[in-house]
Amino acid sequence: MLEIKDLKASVDGKQILKGVNLTVNKGEVHAIMGPNGSGKSTFASVIAGREDYSVDGGSLTFNGKDMLELSADERAKEGLFLAFQYPVEIPGVSTINFLKTAIAEIRQYRGFPPLEAKDFLKMMKEKQKLVEIEANLTGRAVNEGFSGGEKKRNEIFQMAMLEPSLAILDETDSGLDIDALRIVAGGVNKLRSGENAFILITHYQRLLEYITPDFVHVLYNGRIVKSGTRELALELERKGYDWIKEEFSEMPV
Amino acid sequence: MALTSEKSGKKRTVAGEDELFKNSGVAGKWLGEIEQRLGDTNPLIKHIQNNAAKEFARTGLPGRRDEDYKYTNIRQYLQEDFVARNGQENISVELIKPLLLNNSVNLVFINDKYVPGLSVTENLPEGIAAGDFYFNKDRVHDKAAQHFNKAAGESKNPMALLNTALAGNGFYIFVPKNFILDVPVHIIHIITGEVKSLYNPRNLVYLEENSQLTLIESYHTVGDCKQVFTNSLTELFVEDNAVLENYILQDEGAGSYHSDSRFLSIGRGGKSNCVTVSLNGIILRNDSNVLIHGEHAEAHLNGLFLLKGNDHTDNHTLVEHLAPNCSSKELYKGIIGDSATGVFNGKIYVHPEAQKTDAYQSNKNVLTGDKATIDTKPQLEIYADDVRCSHGTSTGKLNEEALFYLQSRGLNKQLAKKVLLQAFAKEVSNTIKNEAFRTFIEKKIQEKLI
Ligand SMILES: Nc1ncnc2c1ncn2[C@@H]1O[C@H](COP(=O)(O)OP(=O)(O)OP(=O)(O)O)[C@@H](O)[C@H]1O
Ligand SMILES: [Mg+2]
Repeated sequence: MLEIKDLKASVDGKQILKGVNLTVNKGEVHAIMGPNGSGKSTFASVIAGREDYSVDGGSLTFNGKDMLELSADERAKEGLFLAFQYPVEIPGVSTINFLKTAIAEIRQYRGFPPLEAKDFLKMMKEKQKLVEIEANLTGRAVNEGFSGGEKKRNEIFQMAMLEPSLAILDETDSGLDIDALRIVAGGVNKLRSGENAFILITHYQRLLEYITPDFVHVLYNGRIVKSGTRELALELERKGYDWIKEEFSEMPV
Repeated sequence: MALTSEKSGKKRTVAGEDELFKNSGVAGKWLGEIEQRLGDTNPLIKHIQNNAAKEFARTGLPGRRDEDYKYTNIRQYLQEDFVARNGQENISVELIKPLLLNNSVNLVFINDKYVPGLSVTENLPEGIAAGDFYFNKDRVHDKAAQHFNKAAGESKNPMALLNTALAGNGFYIFVPKNFILDVPVHIIHIITGEVKSLYNPRNLVYLEENSQLTLIESYHTVGDCKQVFTNSLTELFVEDNAVLENYILQDEGAGSYHSDSRFLSIGRGGKSNCVTVSLNGIILRNDSNVLIHGEHAEAHLNGLFLLKGNDHTDNHTLVEHLAPNCSSKELYKGIIGDSATGVFNGKIYVHPEAQKTDAYQSNKNVLTGDKATIDTKPQLEIYADDVRCSHGTSTGKLNEEALFYLQSRGLNKQLAKKVLLQAFAKEVSNTIKNEAFRTFIEKKIQEKLI
């Protein structure tokens, strides 16, 4: 479903992604780990189509389509979703209202008629329950004055509403208390199906106890330098990143 | 080209006091052109008007050299060959219909002339005076005459002086003691304008103790209004414990110029909430003056201006605290596109006796055009020691992070921008308490943001 080959990207003239390769198939869960500053969020933003990152080489296809040709909103309409590491506060725009607009836009792109108001309401109630988010949060301006954990939960709520086929969760587990982590992970597990896929960017093995990944990758210095199964995550938890850094710091650019 | 006076066949005779300034430049020229002045039937008003004319003859039209008009050179737009007019009405009912508000008293003024035939007044309760300055065809309403220029009289602003000197008519509303008027009064002000016309609508609102009023003013032009200058002035008296909601919509066509002066005087325990929404027009200048002279009074002054092309809007506000224990809050927001220019100049003046004043002022702007600019200048002059006064100002482009966030959820860039701008504007439109008008305004804003 997602095919990334030798992806290179830079921001403000600084190269950050130095040739990333990754293939994600339907039904899979991939975890991406790696030290701070290694380029994980950049990778997620480039996939989502953030304009201030320039793609300098490589390819990115999603369901056979060249994503690099599409704008961020078109990628979302194709079924991509990014849960932000730092969700943005948007005063004056309620989550519910903009989701209504977003869903209408996405449906129109896919050739579906708009959702009836009552169906939207029903869906909203369902999803609120699924991620155990309080209705008053979703009625408020997007993330404005939300606690760190509430923002993350709101990301998962939006994901549930938009039903993407590929969701990238950038450190959604950071800042969550233990209960919230269980709820968020439970939400992901309930949404998981043979038809969709997830990329979880995380620093903690803990999340992977709740959501079992099929693959674990280490992104370091702009490249995926190691891939494995969940054993790799356990190994990283034990040993830290020094051994990775030693092994790969000399790699020619 | 004093067509008006000749057409109506009663060429103005300038005599007596008028003699003093009839040759004093443009004031005298314009005076000769208008059909009727408020003072024509009331000697008290006439005296005030003549004094203002004399004063104006000294100041002349404001231009770049005047500090207060640094960014808005009135002389560039209002020239001596403009003709002062009032009184003609020539418009079809069809044009008025979409402007009427439901469940409101609608008073229609065309080129400064009150048109009862097009107005909707059946839901106006008895005891309320709402119409124009003329009690009947020939005479200015007594109460209106009593209060004429009592709020604006101290001002040396040339545009205010000019209005006072030339004013022929305008709306007049009187709400008696303890009367709570629950239907809003909507003034529809329409200029049909011949090229190079000057209009000076003059309005007065008087709320006696404990009374309440929602006053909506909307300013429009119809047809091809090129180089038409509206110089409006409104005096609003909010007596003890009275409550005024005042909403102003400026939706005039490109090619029109509008200078709006507002003098609001608030007594003990009085409350006022003034919201000005400026959507159109090449040149707009708003002077909002609030004088709080009784204790425990509260004044809100809000504004929203949406500018495109080469539009220019200049908001000057002055809030004067004369009495202790009062509060004032001000919020002006600008969305400035293309190469439009905005100005915000807000002054808070706290007199020595106004202890425990709580005054806040905020101006926030979004520049959506590469050549768009805003000049913003907050001024606090505080002569009392136990007060809380502050101001804040911010100007920037739309938040890129927020734009990307919305785009990543499926909103295209243009729509994402619109959503953010609408939210930005909403902070001001939300201060309009009348739901019908708020909905009307928000729809207008939405259309303008496309
Ligand atoms: N606009 C920018 N200008 C310059 N450098 C940038 C910019 N944005 C990101 N970077 C740099 O790119 C590198 C990768 O950043 P990124 O946020 O992708 O790291 P990360 O792996 O997500 O880290 P973390 O685990 O801390 O979230 C960092 O060194 C960061 O400072
Ligand atoms: Mg990151």
